[in-house]
Amino acid sequence: MDFKHDAWFKPVTLAAIMALTLSGCNYEISPWATDPNCSNKVSIEYNLNRLAEFEEQVGVRDTYQVAIVSDPQSYPGAFENVIEHVNTLEDVDFILLTGDLADTGIKAEFEWVCTVMEKAKQPIFAVIGNHDALAFGKDIWSKYFGPEDYSFTYQNSKFIAYNDNKYEFANVPDRDWLAQETQGYEDRDFTIVTSHIAPWDSDLALSQELKDLGVDLGLHGHVHRFDFWQLFDVQLPHYEATFTKDESFGLLSVNPAGLTLENCTLSQCEVAQVRNR
Amino acid sequence: MILNKLFQKNRHFFVLSFLLVISFQGHGFGFSHIKGEEHFDIQSGSLMGLLHVSYVNEYDNQHSVLVGLGYIPKLSNHKEMLLHSLRYRYDFAKTWQVKDMILNPLSLGVGLLVSSHDDLFLDLPAQYPDGYYAPSAMRIIFNYQATLQIRPHFQAYFDVSVLDVGLISYIREPDFFYDNYDYLGLEGITNWGVGVRYGF
Repeated sequence: MDFKHDAWFKPVTLAAIMALTLSGCNYEISPWATDPNCSNKVSIEYNLNRLAEFEEQVGVRDTYQVAIVSDPQSYPGAFENVIEHVNTLEDVDFILLTGDLADTGIKAEFEWVCTVMEKAKQPIFAVIGNHDALAFGKDIWSKYFGPEDYSFTYQNSKFIAYNDNKYEFANVPDRDWLAQETQGYEDRDFTIVTSHIAPWDSDLALSQELKDLGVDLGLHGHVHRFDFWQLFDVQLPHYEATFTKDESFGLLSVNPAGLTLENCTLSQCEVAQVRNR
Repeated sequence: MILNKLFQKNRHFFVLSFLLVISFQGHGFGFSHIKGEEHFDIQSGSLMGLLHVSYVNEYDNQHSVLVGLGYIPKLSNHKEMLLHSLRYRYDFAKTWQVKDMILNPLSLGVGLLVSSHDDLFLDLPAQYPDGYYAPSAMRIIFNYQATLQIRPHFQAYFDVSVLDVGLISYIREPDFFYDNYDYLGLEGITNWGVGVRYGF
């Protein structure tokens, strides 16, 4: 069938080719490339500086909130909706992104997530998830985000992020490092740990170890649903935030009376009750 | 899981692909009535490697099966690797005469891309439970091509490709791409490449 005489064919064809030519503006030779277009705004170092500047600016705050956003993997749109909502919450001083930024560890997924992270008004700290280590994700992580284990102190509480992705990394979590980082807990208001995966069923002793190190709370993701549990004989609460596909997130309120956790959607929050297991 | 077992090793996949094309070609299984035209295809970019060489068998001027081998040089964080591909392309039969050349503005294709690298896997490494991850060394790729037939046996084409995860994400959350990328958000998922094709 020859359409060369159809009046509409030429302009439509030219327009289609031009649009596609211009839209496909990336010349990429590999689906497994390792250079997502992420700015330094997603790096842990950059956000630590932002948080330090913010703390200096606001001084002592008795009460503040931390948003716990998790597992945006493959749903950058829902992640964007959550971040845009968190941007409107004035009491949120920073965001913990508890892992699985990517799904298959490829460049494109990291690029989409970075696009959203860069829109966060508050400092945003990413914790490495098991999916982030797939393909060449480990390299992307170290280049654009930073260390897998890190800590910072904010308002006399210490937040310790550790890598607990046992299938993808050897010898995690680094228990010696955790012991070192938790030292001096008696002088702090709270010591809070965060990792993508809560203590594994095969390593529940970690919860007791963290409790013994003076840890007050664990914040995690991975399970794609809200959960808030503590081992009956340990009594160290572990909070797990659902994935952003649900357009939901966790909200930690820190105040002199203690720590409160809420399960939030974009329209409402509900206090999470810890269950014994 | 069946795919996992089917494509246990890249070389198996490559051999299987080659046999598939040969079988379509009718060189061993008695299907000589569907024997098509043979082409040699060289492509660059579009997620197919710095250079991707393919053997093409075209049937009925519209259906093409391609089996190819691509090369990705050492990048910043990984060593060089090879890509194996098995692709299908459908050429829409609408053409446009441009002087002595013929433009086929619309071809659509789909392909399976398998890489060989120590950090990627087809079979789950032993430490994982069954089904924990999909194979990280295998991707599905969709592509659009506009082809210009310059001489009777020589064609040049422009290619735009979309990776499986890109297409799925775009369909699932178009607003994210509209809001953050140009050209209806396609900028966020597409990649371009060019190639030439020679018919035997």
